[in-house]
Amino acid sequence: MSKLAVAMSGGVDSAVAVLLLRDGGHEVAGVTMCLGVAPAEGGRAKCCGPREIEDAEKVCRVLGIRHYVVDFAADLEEKVIGPFVAEYIRGRTPNPCVACNRAIKFGSLLRKALAWGFDGLATGHYARIEGAGGGYLLKTPKDRRKDQTYFLHAIPRESLAKVLFPLAGYTKDEVRGIAEQAGLPVFDKPESQDICFMPAEGHGAFLRSRGAGIEPGEIVDREGRILGRHRGIACYTIGQRGGLGLSSPAPLYVLAIDAPRNRLVVGGKTDLRAEGLVADQVNRLVDSFPEEIRAKIRYAHRAARCRISEEDGRLTVRFAEPQEAVAPGQSVVLYDGETVLGGGIIQEVFRGAC
Amino acid sequence: MNPIYMDYAATTPTDQRVVEAMMPYFGEIYGNPSSLHGFGQEARAAMEEARAKIAAFLGAKPAEIVFTSGGTESDNFAIKGVAWANRKKGDHVITSAIEHHAVLETCRFLEKEGFRVTYLPVDEDGLVDPADVVKAITDRTILISIMHANNEIGTIQPIAEIGRIAKEKGICFHTDAVQTFGHLPFTVDELNIDLLSASAHKLYGPKGMGLLYIRKGTRITPLVHGGDQESGRRASTQNVPGIVGFGKAVELAAATLQEEVVRLTSLRDRFIQGIFERIDGIRLNGHPARRLPNNINLSVESIEGEGMILSLDMMGIACSTGSACSSSSLEPSHVLLAIGLPHELSHGSLRFSLGMYTKEGDIDAVLEALPQVVGRLRAMSPLYAGKK
Repeated sequence: MSKLAVAMSGGVDSAVAVLLLRDGGHEVAGVTMCLGVAPAEGGRAKCCGPREIEDAEKVCRVLGIRHYVVDFAADLEEKVIGPFVAEYIRGRTPNPCVACNRAIKFGSLLRKALAWGFDGLATGHYARIEGAGGGYLLKTPKDRRKDQTYFLHAIPRESLAKVLFPLAGYTKDEVRGIAEQAGLPVFDKPESQDICFMPAEGHGAFLRSRGAGIEPGEIVDREGRILGRHRGIACYTIGQRGGLGLSSPAPLYVLAIDAPRNRLVVGGKTDLRAEGLVADQVNRLVDSFPEEIRAKIRYAHRAARCRISEEDGRLTVRFAEPQEAVAPGQSVVLYDGETVLGGGIIQEVFRGAC
Repeated sequence: MNPIYMDYAATTPTDQRVVEAMMPYFGEIYGNPSSLHGFGQEARAAMEEARAKIAAFLGAKPAEIVFTSGGTESDNFAIKGVAWANRKKGDHVITSAIEHHAVLETCRFLEKEGFRVTYLPVDEDGLVDPADVVKAITDRTILISIMHANNEIGTIQPIAEIGRIAKEKGICFHTDAVQTFGHLPFTVDELNIDLLSASAHKLYGPKGMGLLYIRKGTRITPLVHGGDQESGRRASTQNVPGIVGFGKAVELAAATLQEEVVRLTSLRDRFIQGIFERIDGIRLNGHPARRLPNNINLSVESIEGEGMILSLDMMGIACSTGSACSSSSLEPSHVLLAIGLPHELSHGSLRFSLGMYTKEGDIDAVLEALPQVVGRLRAMSPLYAGKK
């Protein structure tokens, strides 16, 4: 038996993680990070606002364990929200969940939990950690559809020794079933899909409230011909189709965001294809990367076969088949079968042969 | 390790003797004290006996005691009641920046109703300067409300002097004595008090039970209408078991008051001296001498109060912090900000409050545990690393 802190968001997954650990004989306490997020209007599910804290408290009451709320607002602002806004202004599509897992959940929260006297930290992520020959490996979970390893690729490798993912061997449906059977009040709570600090009004309003100048500008094709006007580059994502207000015989997609000139570059579906990419901020969860592996370039992406090479801390990925909608700022995550090898943040995209 | 409770300022355990005194009034003596028959008379007798005991303890008359649901209601009643009853006379209220929310929020409510409120500042020890009270008074001032002792930092205000100033000007004087009633010896006449709020659960009595002392002749409008109970000043059938328990708690407190003050003061000072010997970079908040015998409020540099509370709780030690992040608030304590504590220090504040069951061994156990906790948390604090 060990003393474990469980990061609780107020949702069903972390609630069941607590339940499984408690029933496994561990001494468990729930910890909810207060992120300073304003209450959502109309009760929309939002992570870690006041209602989420209450839900986490309720679950802990039902399970008869301690619950603590700890202020992480300043930490989130510094390590996640600030960089998120800066990246958007640069015309990129950052992934704040990757940054939060690295810097907050498996960074400062884990360090704090150990300092508070816990032996480790558990979360309700769908992922698996396996011990192998004295080392630990991050692997995909039983529920492939819920697999959250994409968001976990950047966590510090040493954290794997102190982290538990109790939902590794369960599907989401099983998790809901366990919650219902145990009478947990959150068993049928809807999934929160959004970025936790994002208000209902959306990215544009949020970035504007953070002082980002969101100016309308030109939409151009690859040859630089002006096709129309956009509402501000931060409102668009690479690969996005529609919402451009353009009429064209074939569908148009956002190919690139040219922040210095405040322009969106659009083109046809075939133009969206990329042969490869360059990533930096490379994180390694194994000693070395094999050459032939698979890579995911966004959460919902099906990992694609590729070859990789590394130079000066930069990772070059060349896909066996071209991939669509590779967006700078997103993560590229490397897999060898079920094992997550690590990944990095996409900086450049190759379009033609290279 | 046995759990150590050091949060008596939040609430106290109900004394077993109080529970026993209350028991008959949940069972065989169930009459409504307003009823004319024997059942009612029996309940009424018990209630009036408690009222007389409490009045005597305060040096007041029984008719000057109104039972309420707790300290918060008493504060609301005193402030709104006096303000409403004296509206023709004036519209100005004086209070301090470090009052309990029950007073501050009530004053803010009155501001919305058109009253003007002066929130007096305090010095770095948390003291209100009586000279500031004098300066704030206008010919429209109808109420001065200054707490007897602060619940967070334990500073005891110069109430007698402020009360004298109010008396000379003919202004009504209210004090929130929730932290001192039954803990410090005083009478309402010594301190020139016109209205006083107190609560039973801070002195080993039941929760949900409070009182407002109202000096005879004070003009006050009731908060709760709908019956003649409490001489028409608070409608609602009285909480007879609660009142009997409150009476018993006061009786018990009165019997040991003097020696408890001496005993707790000595435990408090042992704690303060010991912790300053063992941890560097800490600060005692509140007045060093004019403070509650059971209050220790510390700021620990470079770490957050909530982490310390959590770690101590895991070791079985219960205390509180001035900067709890809860579902309702993220803000550091208004009291710590009012004494001029920088944000960083107010985030690292801890309050230990001692009580009847605190023993010397408990103090020593905390003196052993807290330095370990502080050491562990500072070891990972970037703020502390920067200082070294």
